[in-house]
Amino acid sequence: MTTTDETPVGFGRKDWVSGRTLGLIVFAGVLMVVMALASPNFLTQETFFSQSRYIAFYVFIAMAQAVCLAVGDLNLTVGAVGSIATVALGLLIAPDHAHLSAWLAVPLVFLIGPLTGLLHGQIITRLKMDAFIVTLSMMFVYMGLRSGVSGGNAYTIPVAFWWLGQGGLGNWLPYMVLIVLAVLGIVSYMYRNTVLGRRLLATGSNSDAARLSGINTSRMIVVAHVLSGCFSVAAAVLWASWSGNAAPQTGDDWLIISFAVAIIGGTGLRGNLISPLGILMGAIIFKLIQHSLVILKINDNYSNTLLGALILLAIVVDRARQHFEAANPASAR
Amino acid sequence: MLELRHISKSFPGVRALEDVSLQFRPGEIHGLVGENGAGKSTAIKIIAGILAPDAGDIVLNGAPITLDDARDSLGQGIGIVHQELQVIPDASVAENIMLDKLPTRGLGVIDWPATFREARKHVAQVGLDVPLDRLVRGLSAAQKQLIQIARALSADVKVLLLDEPTSSLTEHEARRLFALLRELRARGVALVFVSHKLGEIFELCDRVSVLRDGRVVGCREIPQTTPQELVHMMIGRECNDDRLGRLSPDWNTEVLRVEHVVRRDRADDISFALHRGEILGFYGLVGSGRTELARILIGEDAMDSGSVLVRGRIAAIRDVGQSLYEHGIGYVTENRKEEGLLLEDSVQTNLAITVWPKLRRALTRRIDSRAETALASRQVDSLRIKTTGLSQPVKNLSGGNQQKVSIGKWLAADCDILIIDEPTAGVDVGAKQQIHQLIGDLAARDRKSVILISSDLPEIVRLANRILIFREHRIVGEVRDVDTQNKRYAEVSAEIAPHLE
Repeated sequence: MTTTDETPVGFGRKDWVSGRTLGLIVFAGVLMVVMALASPNFLTQETFFSQSRYIAFYVFIAMAQAVCLAVGDLNLTVGAVGSIATVALGLLIAPDHAHLSAWLAVPLVFLIGPLTGLLHGQIITRLKMDAFIVTLSMMFVYMGLRSGVSGGNAYTIPVAFWWLGQGGLGNWLPYMVLIVLAVLGIVSYMYRNTVLGRRLLATGSNSDAARLSGINTSRMIVVAHVLSGCFSVAAAVLWASWSGNAAPQTGDDWLIISFAVAIIGGTGLRGNLISPLGILMGAIIFKLIQHSLVILKINDNYSNTLLGALILLAIVVDRARQHFEAANPASAR
Repeated sequence: MLELRHISKSFPGVRALEDVSLQFRPGEIHGLVGENGAGKSTAIKIIAGILAPDAGDIVLNGAPITLDDARDSLGQGIGIVHQELQVIPDASVAENIMLDKLPTRGLGVIDWPATFREARKHVAQVGLDVPLDRLVRGLSAAQKQLIQIARALSADVKVLLLDEPTSSLTEHEARRLFALLRELRARGVALVFVSHKLGEIFELCDRVSVLRDGRVVGCREIPQTTPQELVHMMIGRECNDDRLGRLSPDWNTEVLRVEHVVRRDRADDISFALHRGEILGFYGLVGSGRTELARILIGEDAMDSGSVLVRGRIAAIRDVGQSLYEHGIGYVTENRKEEGLLLEDSVQTNLAITVWPKLRRALTRRIDSRAETALASRQVDSLRIKTTGLSQPVKNLSGGNQQKVSIGKWLAADCDILIIDEPTAGVDVGAKQQIHQLIGDLAARDRKSVILISSDLPEIVRLANRILIFREHRIVGEVRDVDTQNKRYAEVSAEIAPHLE
């Protein structure tokens, strides 16, 4: 009873420019056209320069979640790690604190990502605990730490470090966008072409079968959490440089964004599927929808309601798509 | 009497049943045989109300009935025992049996004394001897199977469908099940027995219907047919039941030596040696310690004490990666769907998963995708895996082809020692033949060493040079010279029987 639907050969090519991602691209295009018609100053250089940085930033946050989803785990500390990284950066770099050079402070802060990821991964695999409960507890550990240490006050980021988040090539291509494109390229190469990437995806696909095929699945889970931590910290550093201050509240709204963008972007909820291009499109769509709320003058305080509804909608659309494809295998892809 | 009249059913791209008519009489055991994909499971699911037919009628005692779900069919007195063990591991035996009809005393509060009273009746009926408050988790496969049967019987069924009920049972356990089924027959229940094992069909059934490609190709009274005829009907060619030609192992070259391996409740002082080109059979009941030992050997489970020597050198194997990449030992799992395959992924990925590190280019760290494709298509050709392409998800392959993929990934990795666990469970006759040939060739032609774990005694006798008998996590006996003295099934069976009593 075989049907003729096919997954592309090998892991990585799966969902690279799949029908689903194409759908996202079309959807984003339609949104853009509608907004250009509705708002005359939408298609301008200024809009692109400011909004594209949000997109880059959301991609980082979403990747932090997606790498964990891809091994069949999840990570609730995405925002909390970003928040302690922000406070740490403030302490090291602010003129009224340690006042270190950014070239020294940023690498130091960056270590927080892999170290916290290593800790989460080791607890999950060594003590055989559920990622949900481990990262939930750690999230509160970190949130308490950042409030205690910072006392709730923001730190000033020296003007000398603003270039990373605020600068760009010419007046139209922000560095943040360049960085995110490079990172997406590397991540995509890793999942498509390297042994590590394939093993991460195999672990997410069926961890028992992967382990019994000679893959050290515990190590893969640790690696995923380490990568996740790196993405969180990268997002935190970029945000601090961009906003010009290191606010301890940074990260409070990241968790829901990380799920929303990763899921809209087609990351498999039960592992084994990750599409960097999809995540980029997810971030673009997410930003466009937010932007349309501004144009429609809808109160920003409703944004969480919107996010939650968006996640559900994305999942419902995917289910409907799978259902449709199962009924009409010929139309798949 | 239950009848299927001109039933048809299609799935996307496949015609699963076409104009199928069958009659099941009270007090009769009706065998249903056919290769994988012939439509047996679809027919069973339609009778059980799990699938709705596209056309045709289900007629019970002369009146057409409609079955919208499993509840409806149970209401009509039709019970089903699924192939997979469908029990709730963390509930008690009594709860599992009474699952769908827990007696309550109003407001949904469960009446425990009544539950246990009822459950006790049904447990006695199937001859299951375990405390009713035991959690099902710790029970053997056979006991779980009996619980499912007890659950079906508790509804006072007139028709009982059994989908490969013996696939996880040993011969001994199967015998007891058969006694129970005969008793039900005597009570006037109509039994439908789906099986791949023709021996069972001839031992148990009164009539047998053969399905092929969704059609009924024939229905025979058991005394008036032969296994050869049935196989011919199923696959359209004669079955070769001879022993496979074998080369003698190199008894002087020991590739694996296991000495006094102990793991609490899993392995009790296990020692044996495996030679180059040898097929060593592990026979025993489910849970007797064969799979448990295999998992220790590949490093999936740790041993408490003892030692393992691979090609004369002490090997401390801590995980499957080490077993594969350092010692060339592969393990084909018994549950290919849960532990053997990435079901959602492609044939290529599943075949190459063990070889990725070898396909890596030095500078770019990139997996050479052309080499990966070449390697996968070599395996597909040499194992004759039936697939629409290397990119087909393995979940869409038949059981036999899935099993070939599951074995193929270890062949691709070029393992010298292969532990193969129940290679033909749930595999159709044609594929079984091919897998046997493949295992025989591995030892004889490629001079690999194979440990063959199987509950199918004829299979072991057909393939093995030597058989070790497992019981309660020990090796309790050995049958030597299975090959050289050309021992027949009956002889080996007689040699083994005393060890299992």
